[in-house]
Amino acid sequence: MGILEVKNLTLRFGGVVALDDVSYEVKEGEIFSLIGPNGAGKTSMLNCISGLYRPNEGSIQFKDSPITNLKPYKRASLGIARAFQNIELFPHLSVLDNLMLGRHVRMKTGVLAGGVFFGKAQREEIEHREKVEQVIDFLEIEHIRNTPVGTLSYGLQKRVEVGRALSLEPDLLLLDEPMAGMNTEEKEDMARYIIDIHEEMQTTIVLIEHDMGVVMDLSDHIAVLDFGKLIGYGTPNEIQNNQKVIEAYLGEENTV
Amino acid sequence: MKNPFVMDCGEFHVNYKQDMRIWKIARVRWRVFLLIAVFALLPLISSDYLIGLATLCGIAAIGAIGLNILTGFTGQISIGVGAFLGVGGYTSAILTAKLGLSFWLAMPMAGIITAIVGGLFGLPSLRLKGLYLAIATLAAQVIILFIISRWDAVTGGTAGLVLSRPEIGNFAFYSERSYYYLMFTILVLTTIFTLNLFRSRVGRAFIAVRDRDIAAEVMGIDLFKYKVLAFVVSSFFIGIAGALLGHYTMIVSPEMYSITVSIEYLAIILVGGLGSVFGSIYGAVFITLLPVVLRAGVELLSGVFPELSAVLIGLKEVAFGLVIILFLIYEPQGLAKIWKNIKDYFKLWPFSY
Ligand SMILES: Nc1ncnc2c1ncn2[C@@H]1O[C@H](COP(=O)(O)OP(=O)(O)O)[C@@H](O)[C@H]1O
Ligand SMILES: [Mg+2]
Repeated sequence: MGILEVKNLTLRFGGVVALDDVSYEVKEGEIFSLIGPNGAGKTSMLNCISGLYRPNEGSIQFKDSPITNLKPYKRASLGIARAFQNIELFPHLSVLDNLMLGRHVRMKTGVLAGGVFFGKAQREEIEHREKVEQVIDFLEIEHIRNTPVGTLSYGLQKRVEVGRALSLEPDLLLLDEPMAGMNTEEKEDMARYIIDIHEEMQTTIVLIEHDMGVVMDLSDHIAVLDFGKLIGYGTPNEIQNNQKVIEAYLGEENTV
Repeated sequence: MKNPFVMDCGEFHVNYKQDMRIWKIARVRWRVFLLIAVFALLPLISSDYLIGLATLCGIAAIGAIGLNILTGFTGQISIGVGAFLGVGGYTSAILTAKLGLSFWLAMPMAGIITAIVGGLFGLPSLRLKGLYLAIATLAAQVIILFIISRWDAVTGGTAGLVLSRPEIGNFAFYSERSYYYLMFTILVLTTIFTLNLFRSRVGRAFIAVRDRDIAAEVMGIDLFKYKVLAFVVSSFFIGIAGALLGHYTMIVSPEMYSITVSIEYLAIILVGGLGSVFGSIYGAVFITLLPVVLRAGVELLSGVFPELSAVLIGLKEVAFGLVIILFLIYEPQGLAKIWKNIKDYFKLWPFSY
């Protein structure tokens, strides 16, 4: 059963058709990769899923209920989390606070309880702090726990951004080029984290990534976008042998 | 010898509760208690004049913390503070003088009513940002002041209303000293509440809205709700400050709440430090005392140059503008940052490099 179902999605910006009648489904518990050249519409697709863009046509279903018209914050509380292509962390806050923000929808403390910070509010803070510490352990960022995020290296910021999304304990995790701009070692680490997230937490992952080696290794299914159109869908093996994909995207440089 | 400015290393927090404390280090906690004790004991040895000034500083600090919650922490600019102080002052005046309610009920009510009014005028913040929001809050300032000065039957029009000092049983807070303690208690409570707020869920959401609203929304923060909430919480404290000020001066009238006051409060949080609770207090002291110090200086000089005083009358506004510009250029993070720099300097002292 598909945890996410995208049907006939079309998104236009004036004359530009960023997404053109795209349909696919993401199965529960899989790693699903979206690939395609720059400007193909991959980020636009994630923006539609997380609610930042409203598609002109089509619908999106998450866990069998339509979310096409929901505001982004509601989708987060349904269990959709995201790491952005261009880092969107809260730069003045520490790593810890960024991750605690990831738990916003899982917490309840309001203004009054928070301001008094006694009893229940304090217990809740501790309880969620424990969850966040698990994510910190998992991503091996203990040493920068209290560092303001803005001062961290690019690679670490990318990792913290994944951590913030993970702190939400999402059912669907959207990762927009989490390895872009990283060196080989950082890339390998990130690939390992993604595999671990998938195996240990059974989180469904939608991954956008340019490194074909990583994509082929990690993915259960792959969808290929080109100029907003879905030109291929299938297992890594099927994609590697899909003539249309080879022509449009993999081209000569990645001879398969 | 132990350098008194040096932090101990080897402070380990063995559980999250300890690590979440506002002041994690025992020495810092003691210093804060000491500071509170000093300010609690100060009026016992000061003149009434100084205590009065300190009271005004403290009331401004409560209002400034309120404004900082909105502007410094949530990134929503407001130039309606003057009018919101007025809402607080008038609410308490009407409730006590006209309806005979006790101050102890009227003051929290003033906070709540101002919070509601603030929330209403915060509604445009969903659509408006930056300068546009500033203009919308300017509209609040103008509308509220218009109502205050024209609704004679309720507000006493331009003449205003007379208030009395609060009482507990037979004791009335008439002396400077007693009112100082009242202000001080509320300032301490406001400070603790705000510090707590920003180490818990809602405060973090405010900061997230300020830093990156898109990411905040994708993380599950309802932008509209939290922006309006920031207006509400902020206006509550401004309303409390307004009520405290009204009962201190024992009169409320429209000219006390002009746009100049709004700008003074913006100056306070700019000079003190945007997004800093203690900065709000430093800024309030600085901006409240600035004209007092200037006046004293002018008086001193006018003995020597009698014709100078006429020129220096207008100095207050000039000094104000100058201070704001200097801070914006040289230390945009305000007094709070300067204080931190001084502390950091002494931490390394005498090996500063
Ligand atoms: N907010 C926007 N306004 C106008 N055009 C946009 C906007 N977002 C994306 N586009 C356009 O949509 C197309 C797809 O962009 P994008 O989704 O970022 O591609 P990808 O992530 O695959 O590189 C591009 O032509 C881009 O210029
Ligand atoms: Mg992209």
